[in-house]
Amino acid sequence: MQDEESLVRRAQQRDQEAFAQLYEGYFDKIYRYAVLRIGNETEAEDVTQQVFLNALQSISSFRWKGVPFSAWLFRIAHNQVVDYLRKKTRQATESLDESLVISKSDPQLVVEQRLDTEQLILATKRLTKAQQEVIALRFVSELSTAQVAKVMGKSQGAIKALQHSAIVALRKALSVG
Amino acid sequence: MEKSREFNDILDECLERLVKGGTIDECLASYPELAAELEPLLQTAMAAKKASVIQPRPEFRAKARYQFQSALQAMESRKSRPFFGWQRRWVTAVTVVLVLLLAGGGTVAAASNSMPDGTLYPVKLTTEQVWLALTPSSLGKAKVLTKLADRRVAEIVYMANKGNAQQIEVITQHLDKHLIMIARLVSDQRKEGGTFMVPSEQAGAGNDVQIQANDRGRLRIMIARYAINHPAALQAALEKSPDSVKPALRRAIAVSVAGYENALMALD
Repeated sequence: MQDEESLVRRAQQRDQEAFAQLYEGYFDKIYRYAVLRIGNETEAEDVTQQVFLNALQSISSFRWKGVPFSAWLFRIAHNQVVDYLRKKTRQATESLDESLVISKSDPQLVVEQRLDTEQLILATKRLTKAQQEVIALRFVSELSTAQVAKVMGKSQGAIKALQHSAIVALRKALSVG
Repeated sequence: MEKSREFNDILDECLERLVKGGTIDECLASYPELAAELEPLLQTAMAAKKASVIQPRPEFRAKARYQFQSALQAMESRKSRPFFGWQRRWVTAVTVVLVLLLAGGGTVAAASNSMPDGTLYPVKLTTEQVWLALTPSSLGKAKVLTKLADRRVAEIVYMANKGNAQQIEVITQHLDKHLIMIARLVSDQRKEGGTFMVPSEQAGAGNDVQIQANDRGRLRIMIARYAINHPAALQAALEKSPDSVKPALRRAIAVSVAGYENALMALD
């Protein structure tokens, strides 16, 4: 991706190509974040679409004041997920759809990875909201500690401590099955 | 306290390495004194990282991209229409006259059948813009664009036979824009008061409304037919085309499926 700051400035001036590059650069990450937080592919798709539409509507209000664009976008995603979970009346721990796409062509590997992913989603439900957030941002969307700190509005030290406790809790949850 | 902060820093450093493709062993080798404590945590992090292979379904990716572009263009159009819309129409009208004067009717007619590798292809595209600009209503423009989408698909199939992936990509972008515009125009037409009415509701309505409703119905039939025929034609081209153009053709198929689906949704 081209220098993100200049891309964002161009996007703020309604440069469609710049918008498209930002969209392509973050689409998969936001989608994966939504899948892990929500646990359902179809609903994660709706949330992902809404995140980008919200970002499109409010990008003119974004300012580079120590907050990177990634943090701003993931905050929109976080708010969208929280809003979705609040509105949802039934439990969010349904198993993943059969259509969940894993990026490998070996059928055996696909099955194993789907099981791994389902297991992970179920296990993260046993974690606190903050721990779920840090696992999703750090390992599934692959943000750096600094970026996660900006998204969650905490110091990097606090995020490092949180990720430690999140991994310990996840390990415990996975071993319980 | 200090010790745990130091451990968190080391753990974070190792996790960063894992995120970037490093291995657990590499990290343990760097901190052998902490290996027993680090190893189970890093294994758990690796298990979590497995979810990073999840990818959106290709159909969803195409549909979402299409809707995003539609929203982007709708914003652009709302911003520019009040000030410059009339200017653009005048520029286009002048272009029409120039095209007709300079190229002559025969050239324009010959250009309508040209393909992207032909010398008259730019004339074909200009003539299409003129055709579109001179069509007065939103619904009329949507109908023109539907016919242009049909041309674009024929051109993609033609270029697939020629093995030209780059041209397929370019024409697919044109196709995408046509389909986005169709969806927008039929939505605009609805907002402008051209709501589709079922026959029983039309009894007391004016003739204009009834004509619009009929036009909208006819357009829907045309789009519904293309929504089946175009992806099928592209799929047939995919099956007999060389590997070098297959990715471009797959994108064209995804664009046509999502584009027509959105156009039909806008019409419903």
